[in-house]
Amino acid sequence: MRLWAHRTQLAGLVALAAVAACRREGGVARGDGALTVIDDAGRRVELHAPARRIVSLSPAVTELLFALGAGDRVVGRTTWCDFPPAARAVPSVGDGLNPNIEAVAARRPDLVVLYRSPLNGTAARQLERLGIAAVLVRQDRLEDVGRAARLLGRLAGVEASGDSLAASIERLLANPPAASHVSLAFVVWDNPPMVIGGGSYLDELATLAGARNVFHDVGSASATVAIETIAARDPDAIVVLSDTAPAAPAAFAGRREWQAVRAVRERRFVQLTGSLYGRPNPRAAEAVAELRRLLAAPGARRAGGSGGAGGAGRTR
Amino acid sequence: MKWLGLGLVALLSLALAVLLGPAHVPLAQFARSDIVRSLRLPRAILAFLVGGSLALSGASLQALVRNPLADPFLLGLSGGAGLGAVLAIALHLAGPWVLPLAAFGGALFAMALVYRLGLVGGAELDPRVLILAGVAVGAFASAVTTAIVSLSDAAELRNTFLWLWGGLSGASWDTVVVMAVYAPLPVLVLFAAARPLDLLALGEEPARHLGADVVPLKRRVYVAASLLTAAAVAVSGVIGFVGLVVPHAMRTLWGHRHRPLLPASFVGGGALLALSDTVARVAVAPRELPVGIVTALIGVPVFALMLRRWSAT
Repeated sequence: MRLWAHRTQLAGLVALAAVAACRREGGVARGDGALTVIDDAGRRVELHAPARRIVSLSPAVTELLFALGAGDRVVGRTTWCDFPPAARAVPSVGDGLNPNIEAVAARRPDLVVLYRSPLNGTAARQLERLGIAAVLVRQDRLEDVGRAARLLGRLAGVEASGDSLAASIERLLANPPAASHVSLAFVVWDNPPMVIGGGSYLDELATLAGARNVFHDVGSASATVAIETIAARDPDAIVVLSDTAPAAPAAFAGRREWQAVRAVRERRFVQLTGSLYGRPNPRAAEAVAELRRLLAAPGARRAGGSGGAGGAGRTR
Repeated sequence: MKWLGLGLVALLSLALAVLLGPAHVPLAQFARSDIVRSLRLPRAILAFLVGGSLALSGASLQALVRNPLADPFLLGLSGGAGLGAVLAIALHLAGPWVLPLAAFGGALFAMALVYRLGLVGGAELDPRVLILAGVAVGAFASAVTTAIVSLSDAAELRNTFLWLWGGLSGASWDTVVVMAVYAPLPVLVLFAAARPLDLLALGEEPARHLGADVVPLKRRVYVAASLLTAAAVAVSGVIGFVGLVVPHAMRTLWGHRHRPLLPASFVGGGALLALSDTVARVAVAPRELPVGIVTALIGVPVFALMLRRWSAT
């Protein structure tokens, strides 16, 4: 949820990022092992040799580094980095939102990876003044994961796994999405009601899983809407994210004003784990498959409605 | 004539709040629509009750502390409510009513603390002490709240603040009943204090000579206004501006006598919030604006016009 707030703030910078993405291909590896890349903020980052001590200030980056087989080089993480379980063994340097430069420097990193935001841009400059290379990575959508995999693969000297991970993400994106037969709304907060819009990673996952996000027309990653709007758009199922396992039932399901939404009234909830769905990550294919399976379960569909063959039932 | 106009504005604001919304409801199905009956209607009524309560509390507190800048949240209630809500989440209390109840509890706690501090220096509720105590308690509660949020790693805590910034998304017949049962007593206590508040405006010493029972009066007004505000926070978070400016706007029409001013503030505040909430829901649909922004965007120009007209006469 924290990252969505970030993304909303960054929505206006997408064009700039596209420019940066085009320039990114300028990564060059020189014969002596030194390498130069252009990061997602268009900054030039130089390393004398592949990074050996990396501090990651974003949960999505931490997960990606472990997936690339560079987990043993991660020497610092944020309090939010909870996947894979091995990441928890790495010392935390804070919540990563307003990086504590001193705590980061104390880990003696040769590379710090930050989520691309204005605040982190300042932190990156401060790190550079201390002689520590810093790279800003945007990881908001599925296509960003592939690009980040290539960039980090190069910087950590695991270029081959970066390329193969990027290729697998590109294959997933190239798959024609299944015909949509279920509509859903992602409700990430209840008061004020916040839903996931079209400019988001979760919206991409829903499309790939053959579902239609009823707030796809909202351009930003997330938006505050009225309950009335959710009721009028009448999704087949309400998707909620939860970090607790087993997932607790959504508290707002019991509130009277939410009963105007048919899917809430009929308790058609789909619960997703936050660590798998809450941020763009290399397990996207797994996430899509699980979402497809959950949406095919009887509880996610309305009886005899647009859900097709599914019967009336309840999740949980 | 003025009363008729105000009444018409109030009725119009309520009618618009029920008629307009982001969802299209055909007129033929209007009476049967679930959206109208269980969302728009309670939300319009709640907006009116909350807006009225905030404006009435503001008008009374401005008279009590004899300071035109007083608003219902001056005396630390918003800080207390925020602390209550954050504590409830940090302690993993669950249930659909936890947040409102915790915010209400926190606001009452802040009120009790400020009240106690206000009695320092001779059991007087000195306005200056009261304001200082309110600001201090509010700042302290906010500091504790921020400390809890920044030390905790539950993302949920950050979202708590979204709710605290105010809005009527939580409106339902349940919250309407809560306000409708709870509000009348403090409202009547404040209305009944209208005459003595006129005397208090002359200063405490003159008011005493003219027969006002100053100390009990101040206590009564303070407690009633705070209880009213605490209930408003519990159902709708901290909605700014209504309690500060509506009383001043009404003074330009009704003057400084509290007998007309207090009821006019209630109706005016209710109309402003009902209207603002409609704009918040409709203006950028399907998205929704925070209502506190709209109260300021609508209220400031209206207030400026009234002020100009008033200073011209």
